[in-house]
Amino acid sequence: MMSLTGTALLLRQDLRRDRIIVPAWLAVLVLMTYASASATGTLFRSVQERETIAASLNEQPGLLALYGPILNPHSAGELAMSKLTVLYALLSAILYVVLVRRHTRVEEETGRAELAAGTVIARDAPMAAVAVEACAVAAALGLLVCLANIAGGLPVAGSVWFGVSWAGTGLVATGVAAVACQVSASARTCGSIAAALLAGAFAVRAVGDAIDGLGWLSWLSPLGWNTQLRAWSDPRWWVVGLYVALAAGLLALAQMMRSRRDIGAGLISARPGPTAGRISSPEGLTFRLHRTSLALWTAGVALTGLLFGAMAPGFDGLLSGAGGRELVDRLGGTFIAALLPVAAIVTTCFPIAVISSAHQDEVAGRTGFALSTTTSRGRWFAATAALAWGGAAWLLLVTGIALWAGYASAGGVDAKAVVPAALGWVPAVWLVGGLALVGFGLRIGAVGWVFLVLFLATTLVGELLELPTWMVNLSPYSAVPAYPASAWTWTPDLVLTALALSIAGGAWWLFGRRDIS
Amino acid sequence: MSDLSTDACGATRDPVIDVHGLVKTFGHVHALDGLELSVSPGEVHGFLGPNGAGKSTTLRVLLGLMRSDAGSVRLFGSDPWREAPTLHRRLAYVPGDVSLWPNLSGGETVDLLLRMRGIEPAGSRKAELVERFKLDLTTKARAYSRGNRQKVALVAALSSDTDLLVLDEPTSGLDPLMEQVFRECIAEHRARGATALLSSHILSEVERLADRVTIIRDGRTVETGSVASLRLTQHATADTSLEELFLEAYR
Repeated sequence: MMSLTGTALLLRQDLRRDRIIVPAWLAVLVLMTYASASATGTLFRSVQERETIAASLNEQPGLLALYGPILNPHSAGELAMSKLTVLYALLSAILYVVLVRRHTRVEEETGRAELAAGTVIARDAPMAAVAVEACAVAAALGLLVCLANIAGGLPVAGSVWFGVSWAGTGLVATGVAAVACQVSASARTCGSIAAALLAGAFAVRAVGDAIDGLGWLSWLSPLGWNTQLRAWSDPRWWVVGLYVALAAGLLALAQMMRSRRDIGAGLISARPGPTAGRISSPEGLTFRLHRTSLALWTAGVALTGLLFGAMAPGFDGLLSGAGGRELVDRLGGTFIAALLPVAAIVTTCFPIAVISSAHQDEVAGRTGFALSTTTSRGRWFAATAALAWGGAAWLLLVTGIALWAGYASAGGVDAKAVVPAALGWVPAVWLVGGLALVGFGLRIGAVGWVFLVLFLATTLVGELLELPTWMVNLSPYSAVPAYPASAWTWTPDLVLTALALSIAGGAWWLFGRRDIS
Repeated sequence: MSDLSTDACGATRDPVIDVHGLVKTFGHVHALDGLELSVSPGEVHGFLGPNGAGKSTTLRVLLGLMRSDAGSVRLFGSDPWREAPTLHRRLAYVPGDVSLWPNLSGGETVDLLLRMRGIEPAGSRKAELVERFKLDLTTKARAYSRGNRQKVALVAALSSDTDLLVLDEPTSGLDPLMEQVFRECIAEHRARGATALLSSHILSEVERLADRVTIIRDGRTVETGSVASLRLTQHATADTSLEELFLEAYR
C-alpha cells in the first residue's frame, strides 16, 4: 500500500529548490545539442565526405567504445549526434542522480526527512515527488533536444526519436538513482553507487559496440539502447518500452527496498569502528575522509585507461603492409589525444568534490571545531588543497600509465608519450581546482562545479559554433595542446600552472582573513 | 550594567578573558553591540542570554574564528584573531551544535581532536572519561544521537588538564545522569584551579556551578557578577533563584 499524502506539496518544494540547477543543466545540454546539429552542415560539406567519416568512425574500436557505432552512414543526423547519442546522454543522466539523491537520501541524512515525516506527509511522498519531478525533467529535456535538433537543421522524425532516447535515458537514470539511494545510510556512498552503475552501463555497451561478436552486450545496457533505437533511420519504436519497463521496475524495486527499511537506515548496516584512531593531523583527516573515493577513482581511471588504450591500436587488423604501421600509430595517437581532454574533464570532478566536502565541513560547523585546536587556518586550507591537487595529478598519472600499458599490450608502439601527454593536462585541472578553492576561500559552495560546466561548454560548444578564438581560449581545457597529435609546447602548461598557483594563493589569503561560520 | 569589582574571586589577577566594547555586525545586523565580559583565572563563569543574544558569536570571536569589528578582545592577554593556534594550546572548546565527521568512529574522533591539540591520547584520561560518560567509541559518528555527539566533544575536551574550557550549551542533549557526571567534571576542573566559560540555558546548572555570571541581551551585557551580588542589585531576597533573577533582568 502506498500512501502519497503531501506529494504535491513536496513536489512544489523540490521544484523550487531546483529552480537554478535544472534550467542551467538543461540549457547547457540543449545548447550543445543545437551546436552539434547546426555545425554538421559546415563540418562535412558533401554527402560523400560524410559517409567516409562515418565509415572510418565505425572502423575504430576506440571511437566505437566512446561514442557507439553509426548504424546508418548515409544519415546526416546520426553523424551529427555521434557524441550525443551515448556519451552526452551519460552527462544528462548525472542530473537525475543529483536530483533523486538530494531529495531523498540527503534529506534523510540531514534529518530533514524525519522532520517532514512527523507532519502529515506520507512515507512514500518524498520518493514519489522526486520521481514525478525527474520524469517531468526527462520529458522536458527530450522535447528540448528534439526542438534543438530541428532548429539545427536535422530531419524532424529523427529529432523526435532522438529526443525520445534522451527522455528514456532520464527515466532509467531516475530508477537507477532511486535504487542506489536505498543502499547506504551515507548520501555520498549512494551517489558513488549510482555513478558506478551508470559507468558500468556505459562500459558494458562500450565493449559490446567495439568488439565484434560481443554486440549482444550493447543490448544489456540502457545506454546501448540509445544507439539501437535507430532514431535516424527505421526506428525500433519498441525500444521505448524497454526504457519504460526498466525504469518502472527499478522504481518499484526502490519502493520495495524503502518500505522495508527504517528512515535514515541503509541496507548495509554500519560496521563498528575502532576505539582508537591513528589520524593526527588535518592532512591525515582529509586523506582518511577521501581515501575510499580516491581508491575507487584510481581503479576507475586505470580500468578505463587500459580498455581504451587497448582499443586505440585496434585499427591494426584492417591494414597490412609496411605503410600501415605508421598510419595505425598516427590514428592511435590521435585517438589518445582526443581521449585525454575527456579524461581531464572527468578527473576535475575529484578535486572539486574534495573542496566541496571541505565547504560542507564548514557549513556543518566541523571546521570551526577543528580550528579551535592548535590547527592553523593555513594548514587546514593546505590539507584540502594538497589532496585536491595531488589527487588530480595522481589520477592523470594513472590514466597515462594505464593508456600506455593498454596501448602497448595491444601492440601499439611509441606509446611512452602518452604519460607526459596525460600529465600535460594537470595544470588545466589545477586551474579549475584553484577556482573551486576561491569559492572555498569566500565560503560560496558550487563555484568549482559552475566553472567546470562553463569551461566544458566553452570548449565543446565554442569550437562547433566557431566562437572567436579568444573566447574559446578562456577555457583552460582549450589551452592545452593535443599532444601527441600535435607538437609539445611548454608555454601553455607553464602559464596555466602559474595562474593556478596564484589563484590558489589568493584563495588561501581569503580563507585566512574571513570569519569561519 | 552593574559594576561589581568588589568580587573576591580572582580580582587581583589578570583576567583569562577580557572583552571590552565588542562589536560584531553581519550585514545590517548588530550581533554584538558593545559587549563586556571578564573571566578571572580559576572561576567558572556562566554566560547567559536568550537565543540570538550573541553568546555563540562571542565564543567564536574569543576563539579567533571571527574577527571583531570594534572593541578589544584579550584571551590569556593576547589577541585571539592573531594568535589563535598558539592560544588554543591552553583551551578546549565544546561547540553548541556538535557536528562530527560521519565516517569516523567516536574513538577516532576523540583521538584526532586530542592530537590536534597536541595531546597524545594514550597519556590522557580518555579511558576514564569514556567510562564515566558511558560512551560507545566504536559507533560511527553518523549513527550518534545529539547527546552522544556532545559526549564525544566533552570526552575530548575533558581528557586532559587544560587551563580554560569554552563550553557552548554543553549539556543541552545530555540525560540527567550524564548532566550529573558533567557537573562533577567541571567541579574537578575548578578544583584544579582552572577556568571555564559556560554558556547555558539550564539556569539551575549554572547556579550550581558558576562563581559569577554574565547576562547579555541583544549583544550587550546587562548584568555581571556573582549570583549573590545580582540579588543585591536587583533588591531580591536571599532565596531568589538565578532563574528568577534572569527573568527579572529581561523585564
